[in-house]
Amino acid sequence: MDAFGMGLVAAMGALATVAGASEDIESDIGSQSNPNSQVQLAAQVGNPHRIYNKAIAGEPPSNALWCTTAAIMAYVLIEGYHMPLLFAVAVGASLAALFNGVMATSAYLGRNASQARFNQWIYLDIIRYTTPSIMAHVWITSFCITLISTIQVYVLTPHHPFPIPVIALIWGLTVGAIGSSVGDIHYGGEREFQWRLFGQGLNTMLSGQIVRKAEAGLRNSIDNAWFCAKFGGPCTGMGFGLTVFLDNWRTTVFDPVTHAGAAIAMGLFFVIVMNLYNFYCELSARRKYGPYPGYKGDIAA
Amino acid sequence: MTVGGGAAGAPQALDPKKIRIYGLVGSVIGIYLAWILNSVTGTNIFSFVGALAALFGVVLGANAVRRVCAYGIGTGVPSIGMLALGMGVVASLFGLNLAEQLGVGVLGVIIALVYSVVFGYVIGLIANRVMGFNIPIMEEGLFDLSGAGTMAILGWSFAISGSLAYADIVKDVFNTGFLAIIFICGGLAILHPFNANLGPDEKQDRTLVNGVMVGGMATIATGICALMTLGFAAGMLEIVVGFAVWYYFYVWYFRLAKRDASAVVGTGLLPPSAL
Repeated sequence: MDAFGMGLVAAMGALATVAGASEDIESDIGSQSNPNSQVQLAAQVGNPHRIYNKAIAGEPPSNALWCTTAAIMAYVLIEGYHMPLLFAVAVGASLAALFNGVMATSAYLGRNASQARFNQWIYLDIIRYTTPSIMAHVWITSFCITLISTIQVYVLTPHHPFPIPVIALIWGLTVGAIGSSVGDIHYGGEREFQWRLFGQGLNTMLSGQIVRKAEAGLRNSIDNAWFCAKFGGPCTGMGFGLTVFLDNWRTTVFDPVTHAGAAIAMGLFFVIVMNLYNFYCELSARRKYGPYPGYKGDIAA
Repeated sequence: MTVGGGAAGAPQALDPKKIRIYGLVGSVIGIYLAWILNSVTGTNIFSFVGALAALFGVVLGANAVRRVCAYGIGTGVPSIGMLALGMGVVASLFGLNLAEQLGVGVLGVIIALVYSVVFGYVIGLIANRVMGFNIPIMEEGLFDLSGAGTMAILGWSFAISGSLAYADIVKDVFNTGFLAIIFICGGLAILHPFNANLGPDEKQDRTLVNGVMVGGMATIATGICALMTLGFAAGMLEIVVGFAVWYYFYVWYFRLAKRDASAVVGTGLLPPSAL
């Protein structure tokens, strides 16, 4: 273990935290991933809305696309044209943001046009002022992920044997999967259904009955970014940052070749501790907010 | 739960059989045309033709996705696109390698195509008979998807390596990691069209135009990779061609979205019926 390597691992953890947070907020602004099904259903059950409906595959494939796009650009500029590393990564992230803009607008146009019979209009002002926010968040995500990949390949010893685009693809899939399972629950559960009782789950009857009106006027996706930046985004960042940091920490402290057993044992230790902590969190939440009144017969199920 | 999938047997203006013929034959001819042009002129400047050939495969794949997924696979659209490209990677490696082993390197594309469609059909059979999907066109759909994925991988691989030799493709596409962008961007070109247009009023022409548009973006991406593997001129030409394809089809797509939407407004409140 050397101090430089540990510093790099810490920097990667910090970058991953930022990437996770921006990834989640990006998907929330566009209503991607699992909350998207409710946005899609809303118009079909008679609730047309002014919320961005961006369906670009699931979050893992779409984030893999942004990160890989940024990574190929950075890789070509670094290897082929000997550009400075940070400049190359920034150019790559800009290309990824442009790709994202095209995909996001085409999904908004297509999904809303395919709901013509439910009277779901296409609002051009939503495209105009929401898309840049989405692109900006993608820029941050792909910049951080590509920088993590380049650190792994060029700086951190031992150098990672995989090429940068493949590492970025894998990190992109990971950040998308974590964002989809951590932060989106916050958006889908708390923001789209603000008046839901604890423990109710999502009743089939309520499918598509999302909140469409804001504190003033109609709700739009920028409001959702404001809401999700307070809890869902940071939570996702923490989840992804811890994943990157703890995983690299154990292989930096314990050499994977000479102390493989200790590195594996440390990984197992983390898994067990996190499971116990999750169990505690769930018990604590149930003790504080539960049970659902329906169980006591107060509300007809 | 199916989310807003179209009705079974989605309405279509273009016959799927015709699209299959045009897609497979067009992409094979395109890849060979690119190879011949490159060999005859002794340059790699015509590698962009390989990327254009991949667009035929993309149209076939996008049409297959909309046909299969119209049976109620809503959230499975991304998965089936990834499946197509996954089968494509296996088949293209197998075809190119086998052709090299047999000493008929150029026929690798045909071998890969034949292997991939058989492979896809068998997976379709397993999905329907063993796993019980009960989708009448599953075998046909995976036949098309596997062929489309293989042609997309081969076309864009040619656009990056400028050669059909197994060793060149492994060196330029696999070892550099550029396969990652072909896999994910090509996959999006096949799955994004139906995913982006999901809903009861989805139209075939709008979906396919979207597919070519994303294919244009993938061509831009492979052009960027070609800047390193083929040199500045060939790469830049590919980027310009990709941009032209993207721009033309994006404008066309926007026009079709305006045609199909119930209303396109600059700004405004909800429709009067919903307030």
